[in-house]
Amino acid sequence: MALLEVNHLSIGYQTAKGLLRAVDDVSFAVDAGQSLGLVGESGCGKTTIGMALMGLLPPNGSIVGGNVVLDGQDLSGLDEADLRQRRWRDIAMIFQAAMNALNPVQRVGEQIVEAILTHKPELEREEALHQVEGLYQLVGLPVGRMHDFPHQYSGGMKQRAVIAMALALNPKVIIADEPTTALDVIVQDQILKETKELQKEFNIAIIFISHDISIVSEVCEMIGVMYAGQMVERGTTREVLGQPRHPYTQALLNSFPALGGPRRPLRPIPGEPPLLIGRRFGCRFCDRCPVPASSCKLEPPELVQVGETHFVRCDNV
Amino acid sequence: MSEQTPPQTDQLQRTPPPLTAPVMELVGISKHYQSRGSIFGGAGERVTALNQVSLDFRRGEIFGLVGESGSGKTTCGRLMVGLERADAGQLVLEGREITALRGKDLKDFRRKVQIIFQDPYQSLNPQLSILDSVAEPLITSQACPASEREGRVLATLKAVGLSPAEDFAYRFPHQLSGGQRQRVAIARAMIIEPRLLVADEPTSMLDASYSAQIFDILLQVREKFGTTIALITHSLAAARYLCDRIAVIYRGHLMELGQAEQVINRPRHPYTQALIDATPKFGDCGDVPRYNALLQPERQATTEEAGCVFFRRCARAHLTRCSRQAPTWRRLEDGDMVACHYADGAPDPGPEIESCPVPGL
Ligand SMILES: Nc1ncnc2c1ncn2[C@@H]1O[C@H](COP(=O)(O)OP(=O)(O)O)[C@@H](O)[C@H]1O
Ligand SMILES: Nc1ncnc2c1ncn2[C@@H]1O[C@H](COP(=O)(O)OP(=O)(O)O)[C@@H](O)[C@H]1O
Ligand code: SF4
Ligand SMILES: [Mg+2]
Ligand SMILES: [Mg+2]
Repeated sequence: MALLEVNHLSIGYQTAKGLLRAVDDVSFAVDAGQSLGLVGESGCGKTTIGMALMGLLPPNGSIVGGNVVLDGQDLSGLDEADLRQRRWRDIAMIFQAAMNALNPVQRVGEQIVEAILTHKPELEREEALHQVEGLYQLVGLPVGRMHDFPHQYSGGMKQRAVIAMALALNPKVIIADEPTTALDVIVQDQILKETKELQKEFNIAIIFISHDISIVSEVCEMIGVMYAGQMVERGTTREVLGQPRHPYTQALLNSFPALGGPRRPLRPIPGEPPLLIGRRFGCRFCDRCPVPASSCKLEPPELVQVGETHFVRCDNV
Repeated sequence: MSEQTPPQTDQLQRTPPPLTAPVMELVGISKHYQSRGSIFGGAGERVTALNQVSLDFRRGEIFGLVGESGSGKTTCGRLMVGLERADAGQLVLEGREITALRGKDLKDFRRKVQIIFQDPYQSLNPQLSILDSVAEPLITSQACPASEREGRVLATLKAVGLSPAEDFAYRFPHQLSGGQRQRVAIARAMIIEPRLLVADEPTSMLDASYSAQIFDILLQVREKFGTTIALITHSLAAARYLCDRIAVIYRGHLMELGQAEQVINRPRHPYTQALIDATPKFGDCGDVPRYNALLQPERQATTEEAGCVFFRRCARAHLTRCSRQAPTWRRLEDGDMVACHYADGAPDPGPEIESCPVPGL
């Protein structure tokens, strides 16, 4: 049994126009020390999955099917107080744009101290402060800058502080939601490398959320490709990038310009993603698919195993 | 290195534009800002957004200006379309210095150069229908009789892939996706058939499938109208895909300029090399050289004013020479331009070869 298992998870949002099916029957598993990249274009449900794992869906959002099992325990069986306990201690999340959400009028180190004390009230302040010093060293921030305010930090430093905060309670799982999207490539590259090292050192499971498949392919050993709330393909990075089987994965890969190899024409995906409100039959990619089968318009395709750890949700494979 | 690199078959087969007189030239352009300082105090300092930048844009070419945020790309683009004035240097459009232009000539200039911005959510007036939005430049510039306007708008919407155009024309911005809005912005810029289109990070807020669509539309626009396009981007991969030539800029200083393939496959400036090292490689990338040109951690140097702007982060730097003397912007034997003392015959350890992160591709 893997450290974190997500089984047939479906999540909906109540909206004025009806139920928005943001996540539909998504399954994956991550073990300690493993990294899974959740990749897909905006609106495909990546953040929603992260929030659901944290038990932090907004009031209009709820899990409408499936479950999440952490360390053998079904999280959906827990009450709010138990969940809060596990949250941050067991699973931490680096929220999308978190570096811009640091409190501007509080010193950065102090914000991390506070986060630690909230979850470990038994700790002495001194001790928490000491831990933050250790965290600063871990993420490559000068300890001397602990007492600076966020605006005195560069973007890269803020992101490191946010990573330090996520590491503060020694979580088993970290969900990193677009952690480097706002950064320039050189800083991004450094942070990705450091994150990878920390993950190995502490044997953390990482769920790495990104719209950028090139980043995910550098950081993660497994990839789950999402489209319109469904996970259309999942496997090791090698499987998914080496033999992409789902037409959407193939299309996505063909719409990214690469830096190496021969220059190839890109093939943009025509059309727009579907609306997620209302009843949907069949495969959600059908309208944009270059090779739709006759069956996929009617019934949602089953997840088909095409390799050792390689699964595809497509009737054509 | 040449033995290990796989053969580069370029499948794009685009004909490079002929070498003609440039459409626009920037000659020694500098621009400074007084930073406002922060709300927490701290004096406003003088920021050099552009320092002695000289560029030329050839007819029908797609030219990439690449750099990290804050390097002066937007300032350069705004200057090129007259939204900003240089502190020093000249801006020349089709042989005429534009600071001298007045009245009708100035109006003519504004028609010939257009810009599209990064954020498609803010660049369109939410109150105007797509038809009115795209027609606006036609009205302002009195480019065609009122009776022909709607036809022109519909044709342009079609040219940017918004079809059926009749359907899109009567919608409002909020009814469109980000990718569709960016196409409307391109239509708006292209409808008066400018000589030069500045595209400032036109896809950085869009998803991959939309940005690939926008890339294709820019290529088609060039093909169809022969428009010169200045593409501002932070992505070397995007620049490689779209551009004939690429210039790399760092903190307002040009670092390197040359044929796109040359700059990417044979970068000579340590900063270009650092950017290439840091860009995620994926897919069909073959073996990738690593240049290790970035110094980590960076030097704590105070001599920057006089020396090379990249000195603090440069692993190739000569401690005395580079800290004291700024490299000149010079032409290398193969025609590429570079600002580095050591770009040819440098103390250069040469690239290591890193294999493709996804083996089996
Ligand atoms: N609070 C909410 N209420 C209603 N719909 C929402 C809410 N949050 C997200 N959604 C919708 O759910 C879908 C998935 O969103 P999200 O998980 O944020 O996607 P991603 O992170 O992949 O960009 C989108 O269609 C989005 O508009
Ligand atoms: N209106 C302005 N006032 C003060 N500083 C500015 C202004 N516009 C740009 N700058 C500064 O000039 C530099 C270059 O900015 P910009 O041209 O926007 O770079 P880029 O587009 O490459 O990110 C940055 O340091 C930026 O902070
Ligand atoms: S001039 Fe010197 S410091 Fe500047 S890039 Fe070249 S080697 Fe590095
Ligand atoms: Mg998100
Ligand atoms: Mg900019």
